[in-house]
Amino acid sequence: MTSATTSSAAATAAAPSRPQGDRFIVSVALGALAVLGAFIAVETAPFLAVLLALGAVLGIALYHGAFSFTGGWRRQVVQQRSSGLRAQLALFALASVLFAPFLVADPTLNAAVAPVGTSLLLGAFLFGLGMQLGGGCGSGTMFTVGAGNIRMVLTLIFFIVGSVVGTMHLPWWLEQPGTDPIHLLEVAGPWGAVAGQLALLGLLVAWLARRERQRHGNVEPALTLRPASGGFWQTLVYGPWPFSWAVAVLGVGSLAVLLVAEETWGITFAFALWGAKILQAVGVDMAQWTFWTWDYPALALSDSVFVNITSVTNFGLFFGAMLAAGLAGRYNKASQGRIPPRSLLAAVLGGLLMGYGARLAFGCNIGALFGGIASASLHGWIWLVAAWIGSYLGVQLRPYFALAKE
Amino acid sequence: MAEARNYKRWRVLAAVVVIIGIAGADHFTSPTFLANLGIGGVETVLDQRRGGEACAPCGAPCPSD
Repeated sequence: MTSATTSSAAATAAAPSRPQGDRFIVSVALGALAVLGAFIAVETAPFLAVLLALGAVLGIALYHGAFSFTGGWRRQVVQQRSSGLRAQLALFALASVLFAPFLVADPTLNAAVAPVGTSLLLGAFLFGLGMQLGGGCGSGTMFTVGAGNIRMVLTLIFFIVGSVVGTMHLPWWLEQPGTDPIHLLEVAGPWGAVAGQLALLGLLVAWLARRERQRHGNVEPALTLRPASGGFWQTLVYGPWPFSWAVAVLGVGSLAVLLVAEETWGITFAFALWGAKILQAVGVDMAQWTFWTWDYPALALSDSVFVNITSVTNFGLFFGAMLAAGLAGRYNKASQGRIPPRSLLAAVLGGLLMGYGARLAFGCNIGALFGGIASASLHGWIWLVAAWIGSYLGVQLRPYFALAKE
Repeated sequence: MAEARNYKRWRVLAAVVVIIGIAGADHFTSPTFLANLGIGGVETVLDQRRGGEACAPCGAPCPSD
């Protein structure tokens, strides 16, 4: 919609017209959330039902905020437009400030800290490359599949395949050069860690804005509070949200996940788990791979998917995104038209690379990047640099797979 | 509805039923379900969580490993 059309509509209508929601999709999403929520609360534990609801809120925020890590990174590389990327950095800053007091006060909370080494570098690089080919990152894949994007279903399937292969190889990669986790909250103290991270994030935002101004003569605002059109309640329910709303909801929502789950928000461990469960169901002995003998993965594999925190949050995210897409009347809209075979090949390759990379790098853009920086773990920053390099390469490769570079 | 649907309703319903069905089948063969039935001697994820016996939910090994 052009700005002229928007202005005209706003001038002629006392109340902007409400988007046509899709009642069927909204009903299915709400019904699924209700059934799953009740089942989980009765069969497992109430805190897991809360996590399902939190996952749904996060899915709504990702969809209505169009909070795409992949698209934001690509837009910066190709167009030097950085509003999406600056919004992501603002989210990291907010979460860093929100998480620190709780992580310091309660040592039982599991911060996202992980080793720094060859495994992390290679994994994050592969993930960055894969997300530009696959068309979405960890969160992006989940919420676009939830919104009915058929191509992303293929990406998700091969994300799962790559994740399982990654678990088979991870112990070998961990034997390569690297160090134990470096937790900046312990190294620099809470104030030093948070101040240092905020300073670095601020420098990155300033550098991105400077490059955008040099190229375009202006800087797109990243964190406007007012919606582009429509009133507050209409925009809240039907979208699209300004980035600032998504940042606020994702920041506070991820803190709520930390406090309820006692661990940071993650997405991709569940992909590995689902794949391993499928292999186990067809008779494969997963215990022959070291990863699946470690305490946490081993018990996750043997027990219900409904007691796996990451899986439950993902279910919520999936149906939350479906709900948001239904409310916006845009369910399945991204699947219009024929998908070129080379684009499908990119979805397969991207999924495999992201799955393998996420396991080697201890998570995706949410579990390792967002969770790592929010937890003040050095591995989150290393992940950012390595994934950025991979993403840059992926952007250059997109035209070879019939994908738009922009 | 302003625009024609570009999906088939039965496919959406089938996908949701399959997802919930597979997850449910996994649950009904799990230690947590056995524990709910009162069958003892099974270790569950919730026991592990209460005992603080596992670390690194991202799948990384514990630092002491």
